[in-house]
Amino acid sequence: MKLLEAIIKNFGKFSGKSWEFTEGINVIYGENESGKTTLYTFIKSMLFGLERGRGRASLNDEFSQYEPWENPNFYAGILRFSCGDRNFRLERNFDKYSKSVNLICEDDGEELSVEKGDLQVLLEGQTQDTFENTVSIGQLKVKTDQSLASRLQDYATNYYRTGDGEIHLEEALKSLNNKKKEIEKQFKEELIKVDRKREEIALESSYVWRDIHKIEQKLEAIDEEIKVKELQEKKKEEKPKWRVHPVEVFGILVCLVAIFVFIPRPWNYLIVIVGGLAEGIYIWNRMKEGGQKVEDIENENAIRKLRWERNHIFEELKEKQVQHSNLEEQLEELQEENEEHKDWKRKKEAIDLAATKLVEVSKYMQKSLGQVLNEKTSEIINQITGGKYKRLFVEDNLRISLLTEEKKIPLERVSRGTIEQIYFALRMASVEIMSEEDLPVILDETFAFYDEKRLQYTLKWLSENKKQVLLFTCQKREEELLEKMGIPYTHYECR
Amino acid sequence: MHLGAKSDAGKKYSANRGNEIWESFAKVVEICEQKEINLLLISGDLFHRQPLLRELKEVDYLFAKLTKTKVVFIAGNHDYVKWNSYYRTFRWSKNVFPLLSDRLSCIEFPEYDTAVYGFSYYQREITERKYAKAEAWKKQKTEILLAHGGDEKHIPINRNELISLGYNYIALGHIHKPITIEKDKIVYAGALEPIDKNDVGEHGYIEGQIKNGIVTTRFVPFAVREYVHMCLEIDQTVTNMQLKEIIKTSIEKRGIKNIYKIILTGFRYADIEFDVSNIDPFGNILEITDKTKPAYRFEELKEKNKDNLLGKYIESMENCELDSLEYMALYEGVSALLETKKG
Repeated sequence: MKLLEAIIKNFGKFSGKSWEFTEGINVIYGENESGKTTLYTFIKSMLFGLERGRGRASLNDEFSQYEPWENPNFYAGILRFSCGDRNFRLERNFDKYSKSVNLICEDDGEELSVEKGDLQVLLEGQTQDTFENTVSIGQLKVKTDQSLASRLQDYATNYYRTGDGEIHLEEALKSLNNKKKEIEKQFKEELIKVDRKREEIALESSYVWRDIHKIEQKLEAIDEEIKVKELQEKKKEEKPKWRVHPVEVFGILVCLVAIFVFIPRPWNYLIVIVGGLAEGIYIWNRMKEGGQKVEDIENENAIRKLRWERNHIFEELKEKQVQHSNLEEQLEELQEENEEHKDWKRKKEAIDLAATKLVEVSKYMQKSLGQVLNEKTSEIINQITGGKYKRLFVEDNLRISLLTEEKKIPLERVSRGTIEQIYFALRMASVEIMSEEDLPVILDETFAFYDEKRLQYTLKWLSENKKQVLLFTCQKREEELLEKMGIPYTHYECR
Repeated sequence: MHLGAKSDAGKKYSANRGNEIWESFAKVVEICEQKEINLLLISGDLFHRQPLLRELKEVDYLFAKLTKTKVVFIAGNHDYVKWNSYYRTFRWSKNVFPLLSDRLSCIEFPEYDTAVYGFSYYQREITERKYAKAEAWKKQKTEILLAHGGDEKHIPINRNELISLGYNYIALGHIHKPITIEKDKIVYAGALEPIDKNDVGEHGYIEGQIKNGIVTTRFVPFAVREYVHMCLEIDQTVTNMQLKEIIKTSIEKRGIKNIYKIILTGFRYADIEFDVSNIDPFGNILEITDKTKPAYRFEELKEKNKDNLLGKYIESMENCELDSLEYMALYEGVSALLETKKG
């Protein structure tokens, strides 16, 4: 693909401006804030569209950032480019009212459909992300607390592991692990909750159990008492069966008869009458005394009362026993695993699976990609350092060092310029691996830290290896060197 | 009926839910009196567990008040006739006729030309197909069977088998949801009140009429509360605050007396995490399950990242079935990669 012309109708600070690009190196010179980035964003937006963010995010997104300063409802432009042997014209309106996109083949006037993915085909499936991460190269972005070497190491490690310098396997795995821990924590909390409930029920159950025990003791005591009372009763009953024994009565009668026969009259009359009366009184007395003993009645009543109480307590005991068995049943049910726990387990399993799968895929990528990437990057480095560094050396743990003719130099020991060059080489190599067709290379202040010699080598490499280069710069250095080396280029000024 | 159940019913209603079930039961008995119902049939699980004596007294008190209604019931798997069960010894009022044998027995009501059959559970589980042999004895014009169970562990049943037994009506119990197996012939009344958070849908009782041997029944919704599994479809615009409002209005619409289990589905904005732990505007939410998925378009992501780990990862997992473990792993992996991606 080759960019032919960018026509800005109204975009950011520009309105009614156009740039024509040629094959080879295009140097776009501009002082700070002259609009170089605007032009770059324009090209990117033309190729991939510019969507307005949603909600709060929309305040600072590119859409708002490049909304035309004047007349913001007219927000549009045209990009002409060629693909294969055919020229295309891509026209877009970005503003929300007349948002539209048109793609026309200039050779035969055929109208293509962006919605149906014709543009995607022309771009070989490139997306804004890959475009930004490969084709367009700025300087290595460094977080303030990180050294440049370690940043590059990071980038390279990521690249080797994931095929993308910005995708970070270690971090992703860490994030998965954290998520798993979070789930485990929630799970534990839930289990604690269930445990607490179980304890509550167990406690209640133990209270009931204690009650049962107490009632049982009470029951035993009552049983004992009843037994004692009954024994007393029995003893009493065992005593004479007859209140006045018939033998006794008979004996006395025989005595009286004997007295009547043997003792002479008239004394016998007197004695028999007195004896008969005495016996009568004795029997009457015995009958009266034994008939209803107060003691006996009390005893019987006590036993009846005890029996009644026993029944009552027994009822209570049974109630408690049922209650107890119900509680035990409830406990058993709690023991069973519930569904949410299964859900949690599944989630955890999914995370584990994701982690293993990621490592697996990454290993495979490292194997298949590493070798090629190594070769290509080494080749580029060799050329742009003028043969000083022969090879990029990647150890098993993905630590990078450079090989000169005679020794191995770890990344930490090389200069900022060299690190930038390795970064450049890595990026260029990855573009080559990824896309079959030569895409234009967009360089944004990439060479600020290069010395003159290396810059020369790099420019030479670009002119020999790349069909089209867009070089954004705020320095005159690149142009002077190109001129000196006699490499043809096109110059633009951004204003 | 499941009297004595203490089910989880959300912050607000849990404490009193047990009472509510009792009250609902009392109300049904009252309705029997008002409408001069002839027969009140309870197909097992009158109690949630082994009944306590005082509970039986309560129930019998309610039954005893009925002047026109005869009550027939059996014991189900929950209140099965255990060795020490009060069912064995309790003396019921004159109008109550429990069928508490473990073999089919029958009570005849010649005044209505009706016989009611049934047997009770003596253990918690019965896998034998006992109803296959429970043919009607043809004692009266109208014959009714009280049956309990119907799943694997609780006397499996079969529709044709039940039809061939020759009853005019079979009142089924055990499954909490009202289900009609055969219209006006074999019907699960379902639990009067939902017992468990999974007892979704309407609950009530079956009112039936028998005229000249022809049975007509209708379901009468009666439960105080309903357990509702509410699926809410979430889209990418929804934020946490908005979710709160959506849940609130959805519950208001469906009725704040009900008890909710809320399931969030659909695709959420990829960067948002819903915090559902504190959402419970009316105290009637049992749980909220977040099943939303971040709005990733896998095809697009794969296409965009075809040369890097993300794309290859999606490729390695994309042929998995929806809702399988692999599918979940795909989401987890992709979101982890995207979350930690720089720039």
